[in-house]
Amino acid sequence: MKLSTQAIDILEQLKKHGDRTVEQLEQSGFDQSMVNRAAMELQEKGLIEVEEEEEVTRYLTETGREVAAKGSPEHKLIERVDEGDKSLSNLQDLNLDVALGKARQKDWIEIEGGSVALTDNGRNALEKDKLKARLNEEDFMQRDEDRGLVDTETEVTRILVLTEKGQDIELKSIEEDFNVEARTSMPRTGKKHYYKNILQYARQTWLELGFEEMQGGYVVPSFLNFDALYTPQDHPARELHDTFFVENPGTSDISEYGDKVEQVKETHEDGWTTGSRGYGSDWSKKEAERNVLRTHTTAISARRLHQIDINEEELPKKFFIVGRNFRNETVDRTHLAEFYQTDGIVVGRDLDFSNLKGYISKFFEKMGYDKFRLIPSYYPYTEMSVEVQVWDEEDEEWLGMGGAGMFRPEVVKPMLGFEAKVLAWGLGIGRIASMAAGLTDIRELYRNDIKVINETPVWRPDWNTSNGGNQ
Amino acid sequence: MPNIEVDKREFDELVGEEIENERMIEEGSMLGAHWHRIEGNVCEVETYPNRPDLLSVEGLARAYRGFFDIETGREKYKVDDGGLEVGVDESVEDVRPYIGGAVVRDLELSKKKINGLIQLQEKMHETMGRRRDKLAIGLHDLSTVEKPFTYRAVEPEKVSFKPLEYDKHMQLGEILEEHEKGQEYAWILEDEERYPIIEDAEGKVLSFPPIINNQLTEVDAKTQDIFIDVTGKHKETVMRALNILTTALSERGGQIESVTVDGEEMPNLSPEEMTLDIEYFREISGLDLSMEEVVERLKMMKYGARKKKNGKIKVEMPCYRTDLMHQYDLIEDVVIAHRYTNIDPELPEVDQIGRQKDIEDTVQVVRDILSSTGAMEAMTYVHNNKEDLTDKMEVEKEDFVKIDNPLSDEYSALRNMMTPSLLEVLQQNKHRGYPQKFFETGNVAVLDDSPSGASNRKEAAFIQIGEEIDFNGARQVLQILERDLGLDLEVKEVSVPYYQDTRSGKVLVNGEKAGHIGQFSEEVLSNWELDKPAAGFELDLEMINEKLKK
Repeated sequence: MKLSTQAIDILEQLKKHGDRTVEQLEQSGFDQSMVNRAAMELQEKGLIEVEEEEEVTRYLTETGREVAAKGSPEHKLIERVDEGDKSLSNLQDLNLDVALGKARQKDWIEIEGGSVALTDNGRNALEKDKLKARLNEEDFMQRDEDRGLVDTETEVTRILVLTEKGQDIELKSIEEDFNVEARTSMPRTGKKHYYKNILQYARQTWLELGFEEMQGGYVVPSFLNFDALYTPQDHPARELHDTFFVENPGTSDISEYGDKVEQVKETHEDGWTTGSRGYGSDWSKKEAERNVLRTHTTAISARRLHQIDINEEELPKKFFIVGRNFRNETVDRTHLAEFYQTDGIVVGRDLDFSNLKGYISKFFEKMGYDKFRLIPSYYPYTEMSVEVQVWDEEDEEWLGMGGAGMFRPEVVKPMLGFEAKVLAWGLGIGRIASMAAGLTDIRELYRNDIKVINETPVWRPDWNTSNGGNQ
Repeated sequence: MPNIEVDKREFDELVGEEIENERMIEEGSMLGAHWHRIEGNVCEVETYPNRPDLLSVEGLARAYRGFFDIETGREKYKVDDGGLEVGVDESVEDVRPYIGGAVVRDLELSKKKINGLIQLQEKMHETMGRRRDKLAIGLHDLSTVEKPFTYRAVEPEKVSFKPLEYDKHMQLGEILEEHEKGQEYAWILEDEERYPIIEDAEGKVLSFPPIINNQLTEVDAKTQDIFIDVTGKHKETVMRALNILTTALSERGGQIESVTVDGEEMPNLSPEEMTLDIEYFREISGLDLSMEEVVERLKMMKYGARKKKNGKIKVEMPCYRTDLMHQYDLIEDVVIAHRYTNIDPELPEVDQIGRQKDIEDTVQVVRDILSSTGAMEAMTYVHNNKEDLTDKMEVEKEDFVKIDNPLSDEYSALRNMMTPSLLEVLQQNKHRGYPQKFFETGNVAVLDDSPSGASNRKEAAFIQIGEEIDFNGARQVLQILERDLGLDLEVKEVSVPYYQDTRSGKVLVNGEKAGHIGQFSEEVLSNWELDKPAAGFELDLEMINEKLKK
């Protein structure tokens, strides 16, 4: 009998280890498509049968995991009501829609005039959060699936089983039908992460454009993240639901900024000598000392402005950073609590808005986007403030890639110490990376699935490999 | 970003011209309000917090009349003398000190127009009003009450009225406890002993700001004359908000009438002035426009503008704009009128050679070496939590950055070491077959005595797992690093909580400690639900970088 090399390889595996699943063979280093072709060939020769087994597994969804960890909304509701929080308005922090609906359905509560009362059933249910317990024991029911707590996955396992003929045949008696055109097995190799490579490419791009790299810590005082960037102290971005405040170390010593603290304060209050009217509201140093996880790498740009010493550094100067930032957001397929951004500033006396457009268009051109536009936007620290959009050829739509602008004099003069023009931008990179890898869920970037890292080709903006097939 | 819904027919009517939907979405978005979708007559418009004057169809129409060159220049609003007085009692000083008022007469309202007004009011509450704390607005049917009015603070049980949406008389305290709006905004009046009210000459309550109005004064389609009240904690904000509302109603053909509040006549709709220097404009925008062209563009943005001598332009700023603090703001508006799309990108000559951070080059070298050993690069979160950093690692010391207000426990700390992140990667890849090798270079955050109390540190970590894996697997990879970096990396036996007692050590570079290496203990493996032997190391790249230098 004549067989291809691959078919012989697979047959050898089966004879050595007994029946194997396609997955097991893959784990032994054989490429999936190669296994499939070999299986087909062996089947044709009557040496194996391919059996299929279906297995349905239930697993917790994100909501399900939340309930398993922290308890069900309806149980939390009755606990709180039992503790005396009867009025709906006090219970707004709970997931009320679900909690009320389920608690009513289970006849645990009655609602009257904005106030919740427990029924007898409800009091009995207090003792134990049965749903939570059940989910933790993985005792899943259909109703959990209906409620979106549990999802199912049907996995089809294909098993290569030797036939009698296959068992009897001797490997030695098989003639090798050598086929140079067929694929052979794939060894497992070391490989760099595709996202790291794209970040690296972005860094390289700035270096080619003559920029100097800056770096800085994740824990920064509000002073850098907000105040120096002319963000008023009552700005919504400074509220708890947007920004991670740091418990330990809770505050920064901002005395390294010297007189600049007072200059920033006066700028907020009445414009100081920047030619601005300021916000006309009080400014507290204590608020500025509170530590946050930087919400944008622009905090590091503000720090760099402070560090420029006009006696030592000749303007114009240009700086960049590619770094992580943090936002206290609910994580989903398009949002992460930490994400990469690239910031750049160009500091000089003879710079204008057309130069801002120049740098940004150059960067995106090098990152593979030929068509881009700037549209008016708003940030407290820039004026002009623009949103950068690039044209997505595939979906035929404009995609927001981040913000840019010229730093306001209210930012520049207090922090730099003199008047100058500063072009600034903060651009998202995660989006470029997930498009390069063909991801539809941005969380995948940090999931480190061996298969995805392995199968995602190297990305270059002008290469035709932009989809890794991970859709 | 506040999104508002606008009726396209109403918008066109107020603009005075029918504007094609496509043009609104493309060119219209160049004003600084994004027209996302137009379905039938319903448009979804996204505005920015610096322009609360665009939160109504009236305000939008006014802006676009200029932007599309239909009617340019500053809008002039006439204020008739009115006889309404509002007395302000000093009792409000500590609660909610400022009130503004205006009357608009002869309105022809409809259900739709009222909905638009409510939308304006609500969006202003959310944005410039900081959820009613800084600013709250009330609109009243003037014919239902008797002048003059008084603004004062009273004890909660002393006053009662029938609030909107509720069909019974309630005391102020009851409203905070029982009424939906009361519950929602009670936090603003927390710890106050007295609550603010606006009442008429006969003691009838118009409003209990910032919570709710009296049903009595509710505005409906038959209302002709409206009294606007704005209360708040910052006078300038209150006055600007009053101007936004008054002028929006006036765009509807209403007649504005002044109100005297505590002796001060308002609204003040006269423009403030600023001088724009043409040279400064050219310098910043990069646009070589003539004086006339700049004046024309200012007018397109609804400013009053006149050429003066010496290259100066006298600019009258509309009374409803809240965002104009500096000449930069005027320059931006001129460039917006000119259209951002009409600016040619230009790269300036800057004589500078690119320079990366020293450490980054070392990081790249280490990535090359580690990936050449057959390890796959991981990329993990800097965020971590107490359980992963201590309990699951059998570590006791909690010397890491802690987050005060994470939405989820997963984000309650920043990692002070990378090894837990890599153990998690192994856990997530359990179904992918063994052996596995991973490495990562990245930042951890360590507590120190720097001004912020914590600094980033670049590290490299390596891990491998599989039936045949033991300490020596990690030791081999460490030796490869040693060989390729040309550094002496010595290992000294020392106990590390997450490694096996006899198989754990510290890594020394030129005698200084730069990290750990070891084979993981059974406890740690089982904490991470791993059932094969694993070993790894973690190194301080900054120290290694330092030792690499001549």
